[in-house]
Amino acid sequence: MFLVSMAVFMIVESSPGNVAKNILGAFITPEQEASFLKQQGFDKPLTSRYISWFTGSDWVAEMKIGHPLKRITTEKGYQEWWVESENGNLLQWNLKGEDLFVTILEQNGNIKEVIDNDRWQKDKKGISHFWGVSNKNSAVKWEKGSAKETWNYVYGRGWGKTTGGPVEYIPLKKGFLRGDPGISLRTGRPVAKSLFVRLRNSLVLAGIAFVIVMPLALILGIIAGLKEGSLQDRILSITGMSFSVIPEFATGIFLILIMSTWLDLVPGATVFGEKAPWERPDMLILPVLTLTLIELGYVLRITRASMAEVMRSAYIRTAYLKGLPSFKVIFVHAVRNALIAPITVIMLHVNWLMGGIVIVEVVFGYPGLGQYLLDSALYKDINAIEAGTMIMVMIAVGTQLIADILYTFLNPRIRYS
Amino acid sequence: MTKKIHPSIEKFKKDLDSGKINRREFVRFATLLGVSAVAATQMAGIVALPTTASAATAKRGGTLRIAGPVQKVTHPAQFSWITPTNQLRQVAEYLTYSDENNVTHPYLLKNWEVSDDLKTWTLNLRKGIKFNNGDEFVADDVMFTFNQWMDKAVGSSMKGMIGAYLPANGIEKINDYQVKLHLSAAEIGVPEHLFHYPAMILNHRTFKGDFIKAPHGTGPYTLETYVEGERCVLKRRDDYWKKDTDGSQLPYIDKIEYIDMGTEMTPMIAALKSGEIDFIDFSDLGGTEAFQSLKKDSGVNVYGVATNQTRILRMRVDLKPWDDNRVRQALKLCQHRQKILALAYFGQGLLGQDVHVSPKHPEYSPIETPAYNPAKAKQLLKEAGYPNGLEVNLVVGNGWKEIVRYAEVLQQDAAPAGFKINIVSMPNSQYWEKWTEVDLGITTWAHRPIGTMVLNLAYVGDENGKPASWNESRWVDKEFSTLLKKANGTLDVEKRRKIFAKLEKIQQDRGSIANAFWINQWVITTKRVQNVVAHPSLYLNASDMWLNS
Repeated sequence: MFLVSMAVFMIVESSPGNVAKNILGAFITPEQEASFLKQQGFDKPLTSRYISWFTGSDWVAEMKIGHPLKRITTEKGYQEWWVESENGNLLQWNLKGEDLFVTILEQNGNIKEVIDNDRWQKDKKGISHFWGVSNKNSAVKWEKGSAKETWNYVYGRGWGKTTGGPVEYIPLKKGFLRGDPGISLRTGRPVAKSLFVRLRNSLVLAGIAFVIVMPLALILGIIAGLKEGSLQDRILSITGMSFSVIPEFATGIFLILIMSTWLDLVPGATVFGEKAPWERPDMLILPVLTLTLIELGYVLRITRASMAEVMRSAYIRTAYLKGLPSFKVIFVHAVRNALIAPITVIMLHVNWLMGGIVIVEVVFGYPGLGQYLLDSALYKDINAIEAGTMIMVMIAVGTQLIADILYTFLNPRIRYS
Repeated sequence: MTKKIHPSIEKFKKDLDSGKINRREFVRFATLLGVSAVAATQMAGIVALPTTASAATAKRGGTLRIAGPVQKVTHPAQFSWITPTNQLRQVAEYLTYSDENNVTHPYLLKNWEVSDDLKTWTLNLRKGIKFNNGDEFVADDVMFTFNQWMDKAVGSSMKGMIGAYLPANGIEKINDYQVKLHLSAAEIGVPEHLFHYPAMILNHRTFKGDFIKAPHGTGPYTLETYVEGERCVLKRRDDYWKKDTDGSQLPYIDKIEYIDMGTEMTPMIAALKSGEIDFIDFSDLGGTEAFQSLKKDSGVNVYGVATNQTRILRMRVDLKPWDDNRVRQALKLCQHRQKILALAYFGQGLLGQDVHVSPKHPEYSPIETPAYNPAKAKQLLKEAGYPNGLEVNLVVGNGWKEIVRYAEVLQQDAAPAGFKINIVSMPNSQYWEKWTEVDLGITTWAHRPIGTMVLNLAYVGDENGKPASWNESRWVDKEFSTLLKKANGTLDVEKRRKIFAKLEKIQQDRGSIANAFWINQWVITTKRVQNVVAHPSLYLNASDMWLNS
């Protein structure tokens, strides 16, 4: 996983596209672009960005500021970073003109703002510096007295000439290791929050499809495999095959045309708004049907081939010859051995269902993980891509583990001694 | 109503009576100069323009569901996309309102007055308007918002627009309901600029840089939920300042819900057809695909509107071979305009004349549409030193289907003249990264209500004579710039049109751009949405819409 996360970081990094322009629009000025990149920490070298993504950046900022930092969640659900002072009050700073103001959030919930110019530290060149936390969840190094002059407007005081301003930013996050994949650049929300809903939606869709398609495919596959070359085998194999070779976007659009536009039976797109997917089951019908048609043929054919092979084997003939009733031969002896191959495929397909449904999600406008990843990739939203990929990797590794455990039940020979 | 009527109004009235200008132009210019739209329309002898609905016919209640991206927003002055403004313009409002006919009305302003030299603008605020948190709307809010635009740290595109003629110390508060603007140069487009989409009026008491955290505006709705990438919910407020024609409270619709369905059009079209949504916000997505599949659908209403949006084929005049006007003219002659409009945009628009002034701009002076002439183009190429033809790369963003088709038609039609055009296609995002840099490319240009606005952006130099930052073709023409400056300060519509006749001729004869068509836009809704107005910028004004059950 560590390697995958590094690889994803490198790939996103080297891919073309300009994240600032993707997010702020094509018409930003070079100054706006530079300021955006700086505020997001994109002016730092690749390695340090990777480290802060993985292990967080608050500890770096704490060293610079010299006080512990604290992340709180406000009543409205916004995450905010503050500096914790010795007496337990929380502090944030902002610069108005050349004056530093501190916002104090007291433990009883009172907020007050006072001038705080004593914090400036003068260096040898006569330039004053201060490291603090801004109200935009960044550690910021402010500067005054440098040669850089700008005109700034301070409300209540009017326009004035100021020197310096913010010169360095560290966007604060806890890091992936501590369960904080950071803020999405595209949406400005914590990735973890959006990802949870999207993952849940995708799991619902994939789960329903899985529950429908797998037993169905296994049963039909066993029926087809019982007698190779029979009429039922031919019908099942050919139908299953034809659906699985049609790409899912075509199946999806045909289904929308037939079921929604012509027959007007079910909605042709998924619009949930505030509702969760299970509150509008009618909208799930078409996406699930599309996934079912695609998956069915594939698993069916594997099961059929495996079943047919088992049915030809010597021990099945022995069982028949020994006079066992055929249902017993099939269910006790044949099916168990025939299931090993399909289980591998099924487990691989859990993965496919989670990641590969991106096409189905896009066709039906389904707010799932696949679509989230696609949008994030289009915007080069590194934090969201990384977190999404990590979840995919976890699911892949997890399902393979489950598959390995299942084998041992089906075939005692591969049990560890 | 204004106390004193600007001297030019009398003249316009005479022009109107003698038939020199039409009613629409009269209303537009009269309102620009501070006569309220009602008065102007009365002078022009037509019924009041901003027809708000009446309670007798309208129904109250219901939820309007709209599909459209819900993007990250913080500071309204930094807006660079239209859709977020459509969500938030139901919450916060503008000082003025440019309607679908490019007539600008006072909105949060009661009216405005302008001095004869067009350099002092007095803005009179409407009294008794309340923000949705209870604060009263006063001159301090206007002052605060103006200063946010002018603040370099905010980085608003308003700074580039009004900063050109309004110095930072030129904004003066007279009293709680009056603000004066002291311009450094004459400008007639001030009311239009005040309706530019980042120009939302903010509450000076509560705004701290993030509108979502303190969504206090004067608009008809309050912001209930804003989840980026998912949805945006707006709830009706009871104490909105606008009333309908019967004097009963606006708005009619209880709730507006924006749902982010990604950027793929297919599911949105399907959802509109099955009535799961009522409206698709095309402002940042483009509506051609939906128009094509829904234009014959009996279940929806399609409202079309001609716009001043166009696709500009621009040639960089600082690079070979486009530094030679003969080569530029040759390429322009290779456009078979009717064919391009028919194939690239299904004939849904007006023909362009290689001039960045639309027939819908008030000061447009009719100019001949050049015909397709490959023989003459070949001759011009030969004269320019390319007797064996010329191979060029044309860069297009492949997300804009009409641009790709424009390029393909041109590629075919320019071949007989000796042009070998290689189409270099790339994702739109990549095109935007180098739109000012490519030597030959096709760029989309947004709708602007008056002709001077875009010419001042794209075809002039900065104070040092270097091409301005949006001058993608690097074309700076001395005569053109002088005339344009004159036009910027010319009130008389006839005189202005005369200047524009010259400007258009110069651009057609030696300019750096070709444009084959001006596009139409559409608003498509389900049948139950009533009183829909298609705005050329696809701005959404929900305050007087209603829903039939």
